Amino acid sequence: MEGHQRNLYLYDRFNARVAGVSRDDAETLHHWTKELGLTFPVFSNPVGHLGIWFDALEVGSPMFSRNTVVIDKWGTIRYMQRGSPDYREILRLLKQLHAEEVGP
Amino acid sequence: MNCLLRWLPLLLAGLLVAACAPAIAPQPDPWQTMRQSGGSVLWLGEYRFVPPPPPWQELDLNENDLSLALYRSCDMAEPGKFPCESTMAYAEEPFGYSREFEPRAHEFLKRYLWASRVRFSTPELTPIVIDGRQALLVQVAGEEPVKHHRLQARIVFMHRGERVVAFFINQWRADGLPFSTADFAEFDRFVASFRFVKPSFYENL
Repeated sequence: MEGHQRNLYLYDRFNARVAGVSRDDAETLHHWTKELGLTFPVFSNPVGHLGIWFDALEVGSPMFSRNTVVIDKWGTIRYMQRGSPDYREILRLLKQLHAEEVGP
Repeated sequence: MNCLLRWLPLLLAGLLVAACAPAIAPQPDPWQTMRQSGGSVLWLGEYRFVPPPPPWQELDLNENDLSLALYRSCDMAEPGKFPCESTMAYAEEPFGYSREFEPRAHEFLKRYLWASRVRFSTPELTPIVIDGRQALLVQVAGEEPVKHHRLQARIVFMHRGERVVAFFINQWRADGLPFSTADFAEFDRFVASFRFVKPSFYENL
């Protein structure tokens, strides 16, 4: 999460927005986003359907697995990666998507 | 002649002992493959710096981001004897996110050595210039609350392009043991020698 906060200015340049999703309740997320100084939205989804949609809810696990998803402006999922975010890979992709968006 | 005969066995024994004594072989240079002229090393094609001499040794961080860490214990006969050790590092992505030094320093200290539960004193922040570039020096002391191990740390924040990078050293000592001014001096030399060889990933993005 802190890595995304560090890269927000670059996401802005590529016309990208970031949001987090967690199964924690809103009160817990409010505490942690404040503690970490996050300024982007982090959604609370205790029911877990977003985890099912994005393949981040393993059977029997009470929490989402770490998963990074990039969706383009047309709503197509262009990137999905388990584990810790590879920020450089994400930034390269966002640059490419922005180039597609603005055209030649 | 008699005198020579009397001393000959002793002389021979001396020669034998000298022959048996192991020759002091020069230690292999751990930076040999990266060594450049003038004693500096070129690290991953990104940075050039003069590493501190042994017993400082590189730590394998097993991390994806560009970071470099060096370590020494106080007594190299017992490597890793805690809590008497020093670690210095360069971090391309130090804790925190601000691109200004002072807020970044406060963000950094929130997570720095977090797992050790260190109680930090009020940090001392001093703007400095290194090789003509603006930087912020942070000096802070701390104490681990259970065994009362003490800590002194020095952190230098600089810019690489738009982003903040950091150098830091921390020294751990048991209560009553003095901190090493020599280790801090090695750190200062390491920082002063550090150069970015090429624009960063973010500058090229």
